[in-house]
Amino acid sequence: MSVFDVFLQQLVNGIALGMMYALLALGFTMVYGIIELINFAHFSVFMTGTFFGLLLLNALGYTGSSGALTGLALVGTLLLVFVVTMVATGCLGVVIERVCLRPVRGVSGTAPMITTIGVAFILINTILLTLGPQTKPFPKIIPDRRWLIGQAEISLSQVLLVVVGLVLMMGLNYLVRHTALGKAMRATAQDMDAAKMMGVDVDRVIILTFFLGSALAGAGSLFFGFYYGFTAFYIGYQTGLRAFTSAVLGGIGNIPGAVVGGLLIGLIQSLGGQLLEVKWTDVIIFSILIIVLVFRPAGLFGVQTPQKA
Amino acid sequence: MDTETSWAATSPALARWRAIPLGRRRQLLSVVLLALALAFPFTGVNPSHVDAAANAYTYVLLALGLNIVVGFAGLLDLGYAAFFAIGAYTYGAAASFQLKPAWSEAWAPLVWLGQVSRVPVDGQPDIVQLHFSFWFMLLVGALICAVFGVLFGAPTLRLRGDYLAIVTLGFGEIVPVLALNLEGLTNGAMGLPGVRTPRLFGFDFGFSPLPYYFLGLGLVALAVVVSLRLQESRVGRAWMAIREDELAAGAMGVSHVHYKLLAFAMGAAVGGLAGVFYVAKLTTATPDMFRFPVSVMILVMVVLGGMGSVRGVVIAALVLSFLQSTILQELTGYVNALGRQIGSGWLAKLQLINSLELIFGVILVLMMLFRREGLFPSVRRVSALTREQQAALPSRGTTVTLSWADPKPAGASPRPLLEIEGLTKRFGGVAAADSIDLTVRAGEILSVIGPNGSGKTTLFNLITGLAPRDAGVIRLEGEVISGLRAHEIVQRGVARTFQNIRLFNNLSVLENMLVGEHTRLRAGPLGAIFRPPRVREEERRAVESALEVLDLFGNRLIPRLDHPVYGLSYANRRRTEIARAIMTRPKLLLLDEPAAGMNPAETLELMDLVKALRTLGITIVLIEHKLDVVMDVSDRVVVLDHGVKIAEGKPVQVRNDEKVIEAYLGRRRRAA
Repeated sequence: MSVFDVFLQQLVNGIALGMMYALLALGFTMVYGIIELINFAHFSVFMTGTFFGLLLLNALGYTGSSGALTGLALVGTLLLVFVVTMVATGCLGVVIERVCLRPVRGVSGTAPMITTIGVAFILINTILLTLGPQTKPFPKIIPDRRWLIGQAEISLSQVLLVVVGLVLMMGLNYLVRHTALGKAMRATAQDMDAAKMMGVDVDRVIILTFFLGSALAGAGSLFFGFYYGFTAFYIGYQTGLRAFTSAVLGGIGNIPGAVVGGLLIGLIQSLGGQLLEVKWTDVIIFSILIIVLVFRPAGLFGVQTPQKA
Repeated sequence: MDTETSWAATSPALARWRAIPLGRRRQLLSVVLLALALAFPFTGVNPSHVDAAANAYTYVLLALGLNIVVGFAGLLDLGYAAFFAIGAYTYGAAASFQLKPAWSEAWAPLVWLGQVSRVPVDGQPDIVQLHFSFWFMLLVGALICAVFGVLFGAPTLRLRGDYLAIVTLGFGEIVPVLALNLEGLTNGAMGLPGVRTPRLFGFDFGFSPLPYYFLGLGLVALAVVVSLRLQESRVGRAWMAIREDELAAGAMGVSHVHYKLLAFAMGAAVGGLAGVFYVAKLTTATPDMFRFPVSVMILVMVVLGGMGSVRGVVIAALVLSFLQSTILQELTGYVNALGRQIGSGWLAKLQLINSLELIFGVILVLMMLFRREGLFPSVRRVSALTREQQAALPSRGTTVTLSWADPKPAGASPRPLLEIEGLTKRFGGVAAADSIDLTVRAGEILSVIGPNGSGKTTLFNLITGLAPRDAGVIRLEGEVISGLRAHEIVQRGVARTFQNIRLFNNLSVLENMLVGEHTRLRAGPLGAIFRPPRVREEERRAVESALEVLDLFGNRLIPRLDHPVYGLSYANRRRTEIARAIMTRPKLLLLDEPAAGMNPAETLELMDLVKALRTLGITIVLIEHKLDVVMDVSDRVVVLDHGVKIAEGKPVQVRNDEKVIEAYLGRRRRAA
């Protein structure tokens, strides 16, 4: 393989990974945009989503040793798994907001963020204690079909990730830009009190934001499962922090920024892993996180996040 | 209060205990607790419990260190275990078989000092084995961590609370990854080989838990004393002021850069002590000992005990450490036995220790939802008010004095106190101040009036350096102050109050006052910890000075000296804020709507005070909406409208000024 082909291959891998980070980053960014909260529980909602998907697939009779599906069976199963997992993680997000975060909403200082750390620990350890510490194989229901672009190959699962990711993002974009709910969300993000005065049911908007963000994390968790072929209780933290870095890179609170940030982090991970040893990936990504926060807190695109005095 | 006193009345012993002064009671309690802790290993307990206690002291140290950062200064550090790691690897690398530099003569002095040895290797050049003294490295570890504390803290200074937490989390993740990857220094995941145990006068601490127990206890006692002394010092008050309201702290002369970095450094140093101690006791270190869950565990200890409460943090850290090392194991034994009895396989096999992190998560959520101040918040003794004190009536015409005041007859000084030339400030396209020229004469009361949004508060923000100006010069007594930082301007004698009161809400009236005295006190961290006579003397004088200023307000504030200000009435909070500003001994006092929210009688009382302050030589600039007040009290009035000075003069002149009437009432339609 020539240098260019290696680059092309990592580009393909990076974009597929980046779609996953982008979906996760969207959840961070939407919640931050609307209530200025860094939601650590999002990491573990993502992790829990992989288990929702896994349990559903197991219930449908697919296990780690099952063969790949084709045709309508594949499309139908994927559709079902995505819809059910996304609804399940969405509901989990709603429960977290309703039970743990609403009571501390508006409390100044660090209390809300500390609460989300507590929720993250509860979720991770609940999964650990009920389902065990072992790594679980994810059913490989997507056929291992590959195409060559030059010397680089692109797999069917990568194509599917990119297509599903794009569809979900376009759906979100439509929802935020062209519906009444989207308008209410944007208004709440700008000024919660003013939105209340204008008759926006702010509680409902926040609940729905958590639902949407967590549902996207659910989709991201299936990406993880299908892409890496396994899951375990500990996967949320590292992937979640990378996704969070994506959100920061794109300007936290900025929805298109989260997508671009996710793609960038995916590319940095795959290309950086090629240039340096993989063990330095986390150092690179955390350095990016720190440097961006310190020198460009508004993100690469410099779009001002809503500021509340 | 009532129940307490009746209980005390029925118990003579308790009544006698309460009669002892607070400071003495604390000393007695500390001596008793220390004696109990010293006796603990000799009470016939299992040696494994002594070992568990020595480990628990490590966590108490860590929790106390994090408490300085999170509890005192209010900076949420999610990567605190990084300092634990740096301390551990500092000693670990300097006293183990990990680093084997080649021998050269440069090492000779250290051989002479007994810190390194020359070791011959078969067929190769000799190498050096490091075995630096534990006691020396305890200091070095703390110092290195303090440096890293400043390095990690410096980038976060301008960040808001949640971003700051994320940056610390990033550093907290990078440090263990470096420890894992820099195998030459740390031996990676294998862990440091054979870290030396401490020696003291030829006695080797070895592997028995007892010496570590006493060493750990000594370090904890040190950290407790340091924490308590810092808390009740100029340094501690500055930290708490920043925690409560960074902007107001700056306006009182507290440099947030200096004190935040100091908090990071001191917190990190304590973490470094814990690291050196722990690695010496364990004789190895691996990167996994310092990851995010450890940082969270330390945070759980601080949150459970109560952020900022030294006592609470110590108790919580002890309880949670023993929960981890002992209690859960023993409970597991009982639960398993119960499971076997009732034939439940699940209970018989249950390992409670696995649920430790679940318990941490539950503690964090429950504490945040139901008891954010922690289980044992800092004690605040509040003296009950007598009926007479509660029902204080407005008093007028009291004579006021301040020992430091320098009364000068108005107009005696030829040079104006404050000169403003061409001051301009734009927000986007709106000019909140548009080339304002203004002179304030020494000894006058100048009122600034104008419709809402006319730029009055912006003018104050520009003078006090809280908002950067776009153009113009401000001089105080001929010296340029524009461009200085807020705390530097306060030091030169300009103090202010805020339109929306900005007190340090969780501090008492007295503590708020003492923050006002900040720039006049000298004690640094060492002075705060060692309390030499010089520091005691300046603290005593500061309290005297605070009482003198509070006396200006009659019996309004003095009875409430120990009350946290969030509990005061609106008018008393206004008074406290004014008193706090006077504490800085200003030449020029800027009052932003001081009478807002006061009834007419209280307003009159306040205006008497304002006039009295002028007789004491303090020049006053007043923003006020109550125009009758303005007309009565002011020597001159300046009117702003849309950032432009539209009128200036004696109250009567201004009142009849066409432009002023226009600005307030709108332009009159005139016949063409």
